[in-house]
Amino acid sequence: MPNALHLFPYFVSGWLFFCGLYGLVTSRHLVHSVMCLAVLQSSTYTLLLGIGYRVGGAAPIFADIPPGTVTVDPIVQALMLTDVVVEAVVVALLLAMVVKAHEKSGTVSPDELRTLRG
Amino acid sequence: MREKVRTRVFFIFGGIFLFFFCYSAIDLPPWGSYRGPYGDVIARVSVYERHATDSVNAINYDYRAFDTLGEEFILFAAVLGVMMLLRRDEDESTRDVVKVEDRHPLSTTVRAAAMPAIALTVVFGFYIGLHGQLTPGGGFQAGVILASVPFLLYVCENTESFRRITSHTTVEAIEALGAGSYALIGLASLVLGMPFLSNFLPLGTTGGVFSSGTIALISACIGLEVTAAFLLVGYAYLEEIITGEIPED
Amino acid sequence: MSAPSPLTPLPVAVPLVGAALIACFRKWLNRTMADALGVFFAVATLAISCSLLARAVHGNSVYWFGNWVPRGAIVLGIGFVADPIGVGLAVVASTLTLFSLVYAWRLTDSGSNHFQPLILIFLAAMCGFSLTVDVFNLFVFFELMSTAAFALCGLKTREPAPLQGSFNFAVTNTIAAFLILTSIGLLYSVTGALNMAQIGLALGTRHDPLVLFAFALLICGFFVKAAIVPFHLWLPDAHAVAPTPVCVLFSGMMVQLGLFAVARLRFTIFAQTFAGHEASLRLILLSLGVATVLVGGLMCYAEHHLKRMLAFSTICHAGIMLLALGLGTPLALAGMFVYLLAHAFIKGGLFFTAGLLLHRLRAIGERALFAKGKELRWTAALWFLGALGLAAAPPFLLMTGEAGISKAAEEIGTPWISCVCVFGGMITAAAVLRIGMHTFFGWGSQPATDEPAEVGELPETAKEDRRTYWYQFAPAAVCILVPFALAVIPGWQHVLRDACAVFSSQATMLHLVYTGAAVSGHLSGWQPALKTSALRGFSAFVLAALLASTSIFKLRLKRNMRFGAFLESGLRPLRIFQSGHPGDYVLWLTIGLASLSAASVLLLRR
Repeated sequence: MPNALHLFPYFVSGWLFFCGLYGLVTSRHLVHSVMCLAVLQSSTYTLLLGIGYRVGGAAPIFADIPPGTVTVDPIVQALMLTDVVVEAVVVALLLAMVVKAHEKSGTVSPDELRTLRG
Repeated sequence: MREKVRTRVFFIFGGIFLFFFCYSAIDLPPWGSYRGPYGDVIARVSVYERHATDSVNAINYDYRAFDTLGEEFILFAAVLGVMMLLRRDEDESTRDVVKVEDRHPLSTTVRAAAMPAIALTVVFGFYIGLHGQLTPGGGFQAGVILASVPFLLYVCENTESFRRITSHTTVEAIEALGAGSYALIGLASLVLGMPFLSNFLPLGTTGGVFSSGTIALISACIGLEVTAAFLLVGYAYLEEIITGEIPED
Repeated sequence: MSAPSPLTPLPVAVPLVGAALIACFRKWLNRTMADALGVFFAVATLAISCSLLARAVHGNSVYWFGNWVPRGAIVLGIGFVADPIGVGLAVVASTLTLFSLVYAWRLTDSGSNHFQPLILIFLAAMCGFSLTVDVFNLFVFFELMSTAAFALCGLKTREPAPLQGSFNFAVTNTIAAFLILTSIGLLYSVTGALNMAQIGLALGTRHDPLVLFAFALLICGFFVKAAIVPFHLWLPDAHAVAPTPVCVLFSGMMVQLGLFAVARLRFTIFAQTFAGHEASLRLILLSLGVATVLVGGLMCYAEHHLKRMLAFSTICHAGIMLLALGLGTPLALAGMFVYLLAHAFIKGGLFFTAGLLLHRLRAIGERALFAKGKELRWTAALWFLGALGLAAAPPFLLMTGEAGISKAAEEIGTPWISCVCVFGGMITAAAVLRIGMHTFFGWGSQPATDEPAEVGELPETAKEDRRTYWYQFAPAAVCILVPFALAVIPGWQHVLRDACAVFSSQATMLHLVYTGAAVSGHLSGWQPALKTSALRGFSAFVLAALLASTSIFKLRLKRNMRFGAFLESGLRPLRIFQSGHPGDYVLWLTIGLASLSAASVLLLRR
């Protein structure tokens, strides 16, 4: 049974996912729902970056260290890098939906926005 | 479903999910012992093959450039969506929410203090953008930094100056240009007989600003696109709620 | 032929360039020019995909972006595999997009010319999704498809409902994307690879809970997209409010691509993981499929809003396709892809026809449409032909797909699957027939007021329009007639079957990715099963007509024979699950996620 501390970042990622889902299920305000999606996003980032870490590894930037030095994984960083900026704008898209929904219905509570019931 | 029922059912099933997540995470390699070959191979060869000292950006704009093209267009589609959702209705009578008036600019002191900050931000943004292949940075980061400049102006002054700096048509054209250029660079390598998104420009010397071929060029296109994207989003939101008039005193 | 065609990346690159071009000159282009440019790029993509298909028929090929070929066992770059199935899906996507753009000429609101670039981006994402063999690239195209879809769904901003439908769609599908990304991360940590072939090679027969949990997350994410129960709740909301051409693309292609992705990943990555555990995996997938068919079919019959009814029928048919996927043999896979092809066109045609009704009669609810369609003879013909097609009656292509599925089911030893397929076809066709008889003939009495059917009432076309233009009618007609044509034209089905034999083999994928050489396969046909399938399809249609009649003529029947009417009203309590509240949808997603993870980890381990 590996040391629990060696798996702590992964448990944090799972907990963040759980919190994000909890927020979405119990949300009473659409803007809050959108921010819970951002929490879910953070959980995936924690997992990815945790997977790519190497203890004692340098950053994979070879401007001042020779190639061949032990570094952390550049792949997960590359995967995440673009995602951060992209998801910021997708959140903007969801918030635009919320703004327009408020304009047309006068409310941002999911309990009151029930035109799609049934 | 009532909220209490929903919460209780969620705790049961969410708890089950969390339990299995942790149960499976036990089989993960211990934290801090990355083993896989992919990252190590690229870290070793990216300097020699592409003269790029920043292997993260070498991955983003060369090894896995096609992924970045897709991500860039996600940004593009999201901005198109924001503009489409918040577009102006033909008849304002269906509007239920009243727009507010623009506000006065802040005091001269604040604006004077902001100017050096703006100058520094612009220089820093270009620095980050141009040195993406050498040090952490590149198009995405530079775009975000440069896009913050008009927003800083908006905070110090008012929407009017934001609109003056970002002419909507020009910024839209720049955004589409940035996005389209990335795809066109890929097509250019096709025309030259190589597979899509190959690095066909001269690689230069490692450590110089104009090195690593198309990596720098793609980075510049992305920078253009990201800057324009954030400005358009800001423009659309401000347009939604603020009229064009500055209140009389 | 194993050398990759240089045209391989173009089904993705060309629509993207087109979208950027239209968006760049958006303010200066008038509506006609923007539409023309959109159609031009869709036609170009279609031509390129067809030429790729002609080449892929002779053998698969792998295309490496940036010329990053694999080094030893390590794959450095992103690859596209041009096999008949992937390229065939790109062809279908381009065709449906072309029809949608043509149909959209009549829509008054094109989102100030934002609509055309978004549709082109959606097309590019669908093509890339079908061709790629890199899991992270698959995720990127999944996100691209989803983002364009969220924006397109909320096109009609004048009513409050589209924004809520779009929001529910966005929340559930974004969670799905994060589930897929988590799974990719877990697989990456174990194998250090992002290419499907390399992951499959590195996983081998590895069987620990981590791999099974990653599998569960992956299929949960794609099943949200494929609208499988209990992840299906977003689909009817999105369809009720999206404009017609967008509904065609959602139901015709996007939903089915989710199932395609599961098929691709199951046979490439998890092929050896489940060797020896076929029965348990089959149990999980088949039970989900049966639940989906039941829920989709019953809710379909209880609906009075045309587009929501068609959305539920999509869910039902997606369940049937999941049954085929669950069977897992190459023959079942071939049946699934034929079914997918047929369903894409029939559902597209039915949505276009519903759009025609909305255009001419200015309503989309069964009550409002009652007896108003008596002059629309050609539209009626299309609608009833669509019902025939949905029931998998001969001679439509859906019947051929069902033949493949039934024969595969018999070989496995689960012949009851054909009964489920018949039920699905019957009940969805019955709903279409009932609405058709009410609208076009005026039989029976006007249905009671149904509040959810009032959603999306605003017509999409101008008030002065009182005739159906050829470019509105042609997409509907072509879509309904294509499955009929494909069923009678011989000679292409064996290509699909052989392609499925290759698709379902992990060894041929490894060989292709690492050496670039294609391996051909062979799969025997389903000729013997066609006759029984035709009989089943015909009886499904007859039963559907009977069921619809008991609903329509309920006043003339004795109380205990009013089966249809009982279904219609008795299922109303079930509709509380379709509550429109995003919290409820996420709760059902969590329930499905927890159940699938538990089932995977507990049932499939050694």
